[in-house]
Formats: sequence, C-alpha cells, structure tokens
Amino acid sequence: MHKMRVAACLALLAASAGVRAANAGALEDGAERYRPYLIEGVASALEGARALRERAAAADLPGAKKAWLSARAGWERSEVFTAGFVPELDAQIDAWPNADSGFHAIEAKLFGAGNTDVAADATGLVEHLNDLHGKLKDITLTPQGLLDGTVRLAYEVGESKADGGESRISGTSLDDMRNNIAGIDFAYHTIFSTALNTVDGKLDEMVTNRIEQLEAIVATPDLRHVNIADLRQTSEELVIALQSASAKLGLQRPTLEAQAR
Amino acid sequence: MTLLHRRLAALLSGVIVLALLGRAVAFPVDGDKTVLPVATELNEDALDKPREVFQSERTGAKSYLVNLGDLAFNSPGLLGEVARQAGVSCGTCHVNGANNARFFMPKMSSRPGTFDTTGPLFNPKANNLAFDPVRIPSLRGARYLAPYGADGRFASLRDFVHNVITNEFAGPEPSPATLDAIVAYIHDVDFLPNPSLGPAGRLAGKITEAEHRGEALFAKPFPHDPALSCAGCHVPSSGFVDHQQHDVGSGGLFKTPTLRNADFNAPYFHDGRFDSYNQVVDYFDRTFQLDLSAQDKGDLVAYLTAVGDGVQPYERDGAGATLKEINDFSTVLATAIPAGDKDIVALAVDTIGRELRELTEQYPDRKNTSVSGGEQQRVLARNGLKELVLTLRRIEMAVAAGRNADAATELRNYRNLMAAAVPSLLASAEPWSLFNQDVHDRHYAALRQVMRSRHISR
Repeated sequence: MHKMRVAACLALLAASAGVRAANAGALEDGAERYRPYLIEGVASALEGARALRERAAAADLPGAKKAWLSARAGWERSEVFTAGFVPELDAQIDAWPNADSGFHAIEAKLFGAGNTDVAADATGLVEHLNDLHGKLKDITLTPQGLLDGTVRLAYEVGESKADGGESRISGTSLDDMRNNIAGIDFAYHTIFSTALNTVDGKLDEMVTNRIEQLEAIVATPDLRHVNIADLRQTSEELVIALQSASAKLGLQRPTLEAQAR
Repeated sequence: MTLLHRRLAALLSGVIVLALLGRAVAFPVDGDKTVLPVATELNEDALDKPREVFQSERTGAKSYLVNLGDLAFNSPGLLGEVARQAGVSCGTCHVNGANNARFFMPKMSSRPGTFDTTGPLFNPKANNLAFDPVRIPSLRGARYLAPYGADGRFASLRDFVHNVITNEFAGPEPSPATLDAIVAYIHDVDFLPNPSLGPAGRLAGKITEAEHRGEALFAKPFPHDPALSCAGCHVPSSGFVDHQQHDVGSGGLFKTPTLRNADFNAPYFHDGRFDSYNQVVDYFDRTFQLDLSAQDKGDLVAYLTAVGDGVQPYERDGAGATLKEINDFSTVLATAIPAGDKDIVALAVDTIGRELRELTEQYPDRKNTSVSGGEQQRVLARNGLKELVLTLRRIEMAVAAGRNADAATELRNYRNLMAAAVPSLLASAEPWSLFNQDVHDRHYAALRQVMRSRHISR
C-alpha cells in the first residue's frame, strides 16, 4: 500500500514536471512577446514625463496636466510588471499620500495647488523612467513574476473607490483602473492564455470572461457609476481563476503582495 | 473598589476617552468623484468605537438570527443603490448599535449627528422637499423603547426597519427572514450597565448631594402645571420613557427619548439642537417656567449625568475587535452553507469581504509614506487578509454552483486561518498599522495635507 502511494506521488510529480516542461517554453515565449508592450508603456510614460517637465518649465499648467495624465496612463498600463520586478522604483514613483517625489507629489501640485512648480519632481521622474526604460530590453521577464503581478493587480482593481480612489486629486482613478485592466488583459492574453487553453479550455474561458466583465464594469462615464460590488466580485473571481491557472501552467501559486520569492 | 472609586474611575476613563476622541483625526470624504457629497464625515477612521453589549451574551452565545441581523445591519447591499455604491450601511450611522455623533453629510445633516431621512440623496421619491434632519439615535435598549421613529409613528420595530430600508433608502424589499434577523439584532443590543441605577430606576449606592437633589427635582411637579414633571414622561421605572409622544414646544409631537446611557447620545432633542444637558435643562426651565435656580440646574444636570452613565462606553478599535466582529458574522456561514442558502452566503461574503478589505487597509502597503519599518510584517498581514477574502469568494462560488461540500471545505480553511495564523500576523504588524495612534495620525495628517492643497487652489 505504502509503495503504491509513493508510486502515485511520483507519477503525479512526473506529470506535473511534464506540465511545467511543456509550458515553460510557451510561457517564456509569451513573456518575450510581452516585452515590447512593456517597453512601449514605459516609453509612453517617459515621453509624458519629459513633456511634463517641458510644460512645467514653461509654466503651462493645462499642458503640464495633460502631460502628467499621459505619463500616468503609460505607467498604469505597465503595473503588471513594475510592482513585482522593480518594487523599489515602484515605491518611489508611485508613493502616496504626501510623497516627496513621484506621480502623486506632482499630482498634488498640478491638480491640487494648481501650480507648475514641479521642475525637480519632473526631472526626478524622467530620470527614474529613463533608467527603467534603458534596462527593459535586458531584464529577465519570468512568467512567474508576470503572473504574480497580474494577480496582484487584479485584486487591487477590486478595492473600494468610494473615497475617490488612488488618484483622487486629479480625478483619474477610473482611468487608472482602465489602464490597469488593459495591462492585465494584454499580459494574460499574450503570455498565459494559449498555454492554459491547451490544458484547461474552460478555465481560460473563465479568465477571459472575467477580464471582459471588468472592462465592461469600468466602461462608465465616471467613477460614481462604477458598480463597486460587481467590480469587487469580478476582481476576486479573476484572481481565483488565475490562482487555479497557476497550477495548470506548472507555476507556483501567485503571491498577493509584492515580495521576494 | 468602592462606588466612589468606580465613579472616579469612570469619570477618568471618560476624560481619557474624550481626550482620545479629541485627538482622533477625522477625515471627511473628499474629491469630486465620490458618490457621497464632498465633506461627508463618516467618522470611520475613529480609533475609539462605541462598545456593543448584547443581552444574549450574558447568558450564552448570540443566536444565528442575531448574527445574521448584525451582518445585514452592516451590509451596504441592504440600503439600495446609492448606499451600496457609497459603502453606507445601517451601521454607518448606528456604529455598534450606538449613535454616530460625528456623522455629517452636507445637504442631509444640519449638524454632526443628524440626518435627513426624507432628503434627496438616497431616495428622491421620499424627498419631502424640506430640510428636516433628525438626530441619529442610539439603538441601545431599543426593545424597551417603542414606539419607533423620532415622532414615534411606528408601533412596531419591524415596520420601522422595513420603512427605513425601502422608503428612506430605496433598498430592495428585504426577505421576511432578513427583517426578522435585523429586529432580533436590534432587540439584542442592550444598554451599557450603569451601577448607579438601582431598582425602579432610582439612583443607588453612594450618590452625591447634587445627584440626590436632582433626583427629587426630577420628580417634582412643574410649578405652573402640577400634572407635569420630568419623571412623568421620563419614567424612571420604565427605562426613563413613557412610550408616548409629546409636544414640548420644539416643533411638533415627538416621542420621549430614554435617558439611559444618554451621556453618550448627544446631540439632544429630535433635531439634535442641543449639545449638552445644561442647554436641555435651560430650555425646559424657559419653556415650562420652572424657575430653577443655578443650583437646581446644576443638580438636575448631575442627576441626568448619573442616570445617563454607562460602564466603558467606548472601546479601542484594533485587529482583535474587528476579527471578533468578523468571526460573529462568519458563524452565519456554518448554517447557510449546508442549507445551500445562496442569498445569505452572498450577503455574508459581500459584507465580511468588505470588512476584511477595509481591515487590510489598516496595514499600509510599502508605497504609503506615513509609515516606515515593519514592511515584512505588513506584507504578511495584508497577504493573510487577502487570502481570507479569496477563500470567502470561493465559498460563494461553490454554493452558487451547488457544490456545498466544496464550500464546507473552504469554510474549514477559512476557520483555520482565522483561528491562529491571521490573528498572529495582524498582531505582529500592529505597531506599523493604522491602529497605532502615531501611524494613524501621520497617515491622516498626510492625506489632509494633500487634500488641503486641492481646496486652497479652488
């Protein structure tokens, strides 16, 4: 009996190793296909930050705000990557509520105080983003890390926005969510969907369905009309589906908070 | 400990609580993308919460019905679309069954602690086009305090609750079981004990001279109308109420409010016009020509304060208190899962999950500038709470699909996490959490600083 149990365990291990081996190449290929999207998102954020620095120097408040929004959109689209792979930089660039630097520090000045005195902050942002952008072509993009980031972001999207959300001064929390979901959508369908579909088509369908539901929920004219309860439920169901997917893909169960593995 | 010592201790604890409340940093709803009016104050960040005493816990455990009622009472899903979006539940105004004296909603409140139940925000159809907020009452001892509503127009608490849900808030028609549960919960919320009150509502033990004189004055007939007295309406042997409505010149017929635990129920009168007993006594003195001397007034205030006292009116909020409440809520699942009751499971998962997500935010993530240190502890605390949220969601998904056995397995996982692992993680992270007064103050001061810049520029 004992031997049978050992044999069964070994068979299970072998099968799971088989899954891992079969998927590993496909997932790594997917991660490489994700890289241009990531580079484009950070490049867009960098371009926005440069424009922001320029507009702020010209004391052009509307122009600086527009540039901040553009930079922000690129950053939020890349959050699947940033929270997991460059956590220190993420904490610096996206710190809140009263950060000394980064997006929210600039947001408070531009959208809060209504002044363009953000030269030092904008320069810092450009430097950080430029530095990151330079590293992206060589950085190792692990499927595990990207799944972790996708799952964390999927959970975060479901957090209450009843208080106006993360970017409440600029009033762009809804845009943040849309960009986050766009990032999740792209990461999932570029890296994981095909591999998951081969082992569990229904689960792949469920993930896709929940992402589409999230996109529909945030397709409202403003944050007030986002159905908060549906948003939370769908976000949690998406996370659960992705957790199930990790085992099918031969990956570890994703972490829910950014931490070293 | 002698009664005097107890009273001094109670007084000191009251002073400490007031000092803490004074220190607490309130943070109103802000931004122009919110469902609620800007500058709404829900006082959700207060670190001291009214203590909730249940009758049933004195003799045993709370019943399924009481826990279900407590759960529904704290569910924003009960009160209709606007409340659901805003995360507002019965418990927002009646925190732990007591009143929320700091609650303030522009256009719906005339002052903190009041709310216009016929205002435009939650149910435009119920809008009476008059700005007539009433004070938010404490529900402690409500089972003894019929009729219900500030004007006492409902003889039945069940009818009153139904009216609040469906008319005042435009909530969906609640099931009879949900209504029964909410009534059971409210009936179970008891007065805080008051050792100064003896049989028949007489002051007991070592009472001061002023209190003693005040008690006599309270029962004394009014000089210009001997048929009236304070005690004639606030009947001491009957919970300090007479179950009647009276016109005391404040603008109509209103029911007699209880004086028990009233030290913690300010503001006073149906519209919350008075902040203190001194003002109330002055009002009655003027309106009913009582000819009270300064000492008489002081004596009455001393008496009211003694009658209105209660043991440990507030308790410090923390992970322990929140987890206890969540555990009480979660007991509902043990009955609802085997019964395959999808609606109750969905209600529980929605409400408990929301509470757990709010609890998660008490442990700031590493992007938060208000706290440094304890990063790993905070990560583990947040991670543990998120696992609970997801476990609950798995329960709901399983029950919705008719997989009750899977749901029962998930409930066991949930209980295991709640039994030791999560409480331990939260305790480890507490020094860096918003339950720590310094971290709390820094966090809200930072938020205020940022939001202030927004207002200065507009």
